[in-house]
Amino acid sequence: MLVSDFLQFALNGVVTGCFYALTALGLSLVFGLMNIVNFAHGAFFVLGGMLASLATERLGLPLWAAIPAVLMVMWGVGAVIEAGLLARMRDAHILPVTLVTIGLSVFLVNTMLMLFGTEPKNVRTGLEGPPVFLGDVIISQSRILAIGISVLAIIATWLLISRTRAGRAMRAVFQQPEAAALAGIPIARVHRFTFALGTTLAGLAGILLGAVFVVDPSRAEPAAVKAFVVIILGGIGSLPGAVLGGILLGLAESLWGGFVSTGYMDAVGFVLVIAILLFRPSGLLGAPASRVG
Amino acid sequence: MLDFRRLLAGLALLGVTASAALAQPQPQPQPLRIGVIEPQTGPVAFDGTSVIRGARLAAEEINRAGGVLGRPLELVTADGACRPADSVAAAERLITAEKVSVLMGAFCSGATQAVMPIAERNRMPLVTAVSSLPALTQAGNRWFFRNAETDAMIAAAFARGLVEQTKTKTVAFLAVNDDWGRGTVASFRSVFDKLNVTTSLSEFFDHSASDFYTPLTRIRSARPDLVIVVAETQAAGTLVRQARELRLPSKIFGVGAWTTPTFLNLVGPAANGLLAGVPYAATAPGERNATFVREFRAAHNEDPGKYSAAGYTTMNIIAQAIQRAGSTDSAAIQGALEQTDYAGPTGNLRFDAKHQIYGLQLHVVEIENGKPEVRGTATLEQND
Amino acid sequence: MTENRIVLLLLALAAVMPVFIGDQYVLHLLVMTFFYAILSTSLNLVVGYVGELSLGHAAFLGLGAYTSAVLSTQFGLPFFICLLLAGVVAGLAALVIGAITLRLEGHFFVLISLAFAEVLRYVVMNSVELLRGPLGYSNIPAPHLSFGGALLVDFSSKAHFYYLGLVLLAFTLYAAWRFARSSFGLGALAVRENRRLARAVGVDPFRQALVAFVAGGVLAGIAGSFYAHYLTFVGPEVLGFGFTLSALMMVVIGGRGTLLGPLLGAAVVGITLELLRSVNEARLSIFGILLVLAVLFLPDGLVSLRWRRQPGPAEENATDALDSPLRS
Repeated sequence: MLVSDFLQFALNGVVTGCFYALTALGLSLVFGLMNIVNFAHGAFFVLGGMLASLATERLGLPLWAAIPAVLMVMWGVGAVIEAGLLARMRDAHILPVTLVTIGLSVFLVNTMLMLFGTEPKNVRTGLEGPPVFLGDVIISQSRILAIGISVLAIIATWLLISRTRAGRAMRAVFQQPEAAALAGIPIARVHRFTFALGTTLAGLAGILLGAVFVVDPSRAEPAAVKAFVVIILGGIGSLPGAVLGGILLGLAESLWGGFVSTGYMDAVGFVLVIAILLFRPSGLLGAPASRVG
Repeated sequence: MLDFRRLLAGLALLGVTASAALAQPQPQPQPLRIGVIEPQTGPVAFDGTSVIRGARLAAEEINRAGGVLGRPLELVTADGACRPADSVAAAERLITAEKVSVLMGAFCSGATQAVMPIAERNRMPLVTAVSSLPALTQAGNRWFFRNAETDAMIAAAFARGLVEQTKTKTVAFLAVNDDWGRGTVASFRSVFDKLNVTTSLSEFFDHSASDFYTPLTRIRSARPDLVIVVAETQAAGTLVRQARELRLPSKIFGVGAWTTPTFLNLVGPAANGLLAGVPYAATAPGERNATFVREFRAAHNEDPGKYSAAGYTTMNIIAQAIQRAGSTDSAAIQGALEQTDYAGPTGNLRFDAKHQIYGLQLHVVEIENGKPEVRGTATLEQND
Repeated sequence: MTENRIVLLLLALAAVMPVFIGDQYVLHLLVMTFFYAILSTSLNLVVGYVGELSLGHAAFLGLGAYTSAVLSTQFGLPFFICLLLAGVVAGLAALVIGAITLRLEGHFFVLISLAFAEVLRYVVMNSVELLRGPLGYSNIPAPHLSFGGALLVDFSSKAHFYYLGLVLLAFTLYAAWRFARSSFGLGALAVRENRRLARAVGVDPFRQALVAFVAGGVLAGIAGSFYAHYLTFVGPEVLGFGFTLSALMMVVIGGRGTLLGPLLGAAVVGITLELLRSVNEARLSIFGILLVLAVLFLPDGLVSLRWRRQPGPAEENATDALDSPLRS
């Protein structure tokens, strides 16, 4: 019984870890490239889930149609916010910028509360069937779907960053902003693209979590904080780092909660952050001059 | 700049309103203002909003029938967010600026505790529809009234019957990590200990948790006969679904608002077979309840639950007290509240010497085909 | 008029206000403003003078509040002892946490400070036997002032708390002012403006930051004690990010690195939030927008409307720096 418990905990941990990784991915890009501590990330996460719930429950769209629609909206939201707000603050001190993202988060979360109501929302997947058994270990169908989509999204993002021109431009700006500008790369466009990408990834994570669990506005802040924990663990700006960090966090929380105590489960991440920052501040996979991708 | 313009606008508006008010005679009677402090944001926002809905329905009903002392009731709501500091600020504002006659709130026991001394200092009657920490009515605050069951009462009412009905020998707890969750678990455990039922596990989760696989897996391997879950709508829905996904074999008994349509909707078919101990169920028998359910459905397109019923009955109790007092004098209202004898959808309600409600009906329900069927009813007896 | 004179004027005005204002609600708002002003000033020592964004400040507020709550309810100690010990405990915690975390800079410090505060909150939430976990401490006794055997002030009225808060605020502002003028304060400024240069002239960034951090911690602990006895209830929410966030907003909107800034920020933010209560549902949405606009157009705070921030310490006259240790 102990072994199958361990396996169940481990599987739970990997599943949540995948979600953490996806949530953290967008934040890592924004943090790494634009140097912004984006507290609104959690609000975008919730927004994605809320819109997907609207699309699938109220409008009756099937999931495969709802997801691209919502993602397009999220991209637009991200681009508009960057262009209208963050672009103006590009040279500002970290403190006002952080506060602006906090203000943005407060506005978004409360407005969602007003528009969508206080009820927790579901994203309909259409998968109501029985869970899948792997020996004694259980995983539900919607979780399998969510993992699949997360993995696809992570791979797609990696391909975007390593194989496309846009991705190369991003990496250039991340590594050497001045040189990139001198080489003629449109910095403003790259920033906008990065932020929109980050926002969209957050939205996707929200959709998937809304499908597996529930979405409601009070989850915005905890989601943002978890994402920060993951990127510190993995190393800022490192894509494999975000993935590794996410899975590691998921596993650590699940195993600790399973074998020691569930009361402190959420504190595990913070303890890990403290440990990492003291002994290896650049994170598990971040080199001092961290690279994107 | 923004503040200055706002100030000007506010002054202008004030001037216009004042002159308008002075110019005309007042044919309309002055409304009776009741302050309602509930969480409208945060993890229990949904349930807080339900309380307000119930209270509003009651007020509208009363106003249609002519109001109280010939005056209409007016609800002034404030968001306490279940936080002591916010609730205190709301209370101060409602008392001094909004000039309410009675306070209702503040949902979470911690927030209510912070508001209680304010009510006492200002000689303002405070009635809570929800707060269940037993210590609240032990503090000797004569201005505070509780129209809700306490954690200890729920345990006392249900524990024995549960054990007998389900032949339970071992139990596990899964509760939200706050004063309500911990208090309820403690109350149940003390009864179970006397009945020789062993507690195999007590797991607590954070308000904002959405993934319960880990504690559920631990419970699953402990194989208790019964799992008692203390959680509110927002967490409970997810929790039960996941428990079913994990094929948890134990019977599940829930404490919280487990019969609301929102909860049942969230959980879907997985809810069937669930047991819950609730101070209210829409399917409970009785003519008064049937009327209440009908009106609530007409107004909100769904059945009422524990919190909307609590809001409804509390507002009725307050209104009747004011009527009985014959004035808005706070001492008179306080005395009138003590003489409460209200027959409503949740039972024949009266306050005991410590201002704790009794006569409240508690039901054990089992969810069958998506509806809560009442399996047994206990009436809260007078304590003292 | 210099900044210091304005601060003194405001304090003097506040001292006579209760004569004209009897409204309990307004008095309550002012008491809470004093509390937030103390908290913001304490945060300002770290954020404004050292230049590091500490997101874990609520830890010290919470430690002070809990210390005061436990000592007064469990051990029956009088308020003023509790107040003192609250400051001491918070200061010691700041010493320990600061020694560990201040070696990091920038984003790393931001996140490790938040991590510490959150771990502390979880520890308190789960310590049910020791610290009553989520149940918290209620019925915290009001302070009382006696001399000989005679009871002077029993703190039964809000005006009493008002004056207590005002006195504590005055003390806090004085402490902050002395700090800024002291060698610690000037050193901290040097570190903020140019870390390498400071080190080159013998100023140890780490030590400067630590002293500011501890000073901030002590004052936050005092604020916590005041909070506990005024609201009479303390729970784990006192260690939460919400208070840090409020203080942060006030520091930035008022003007960081100045004496008047946190004061103005506390007043403006507090009052705006209360005024917005009449638009109950949209309140926080409007507030979010106002916050964004305020930071966008006044990144150096309200104080910068009157005194512009100047770049570079090299331009300043050496003696000017001694007279007004603020950027003005």
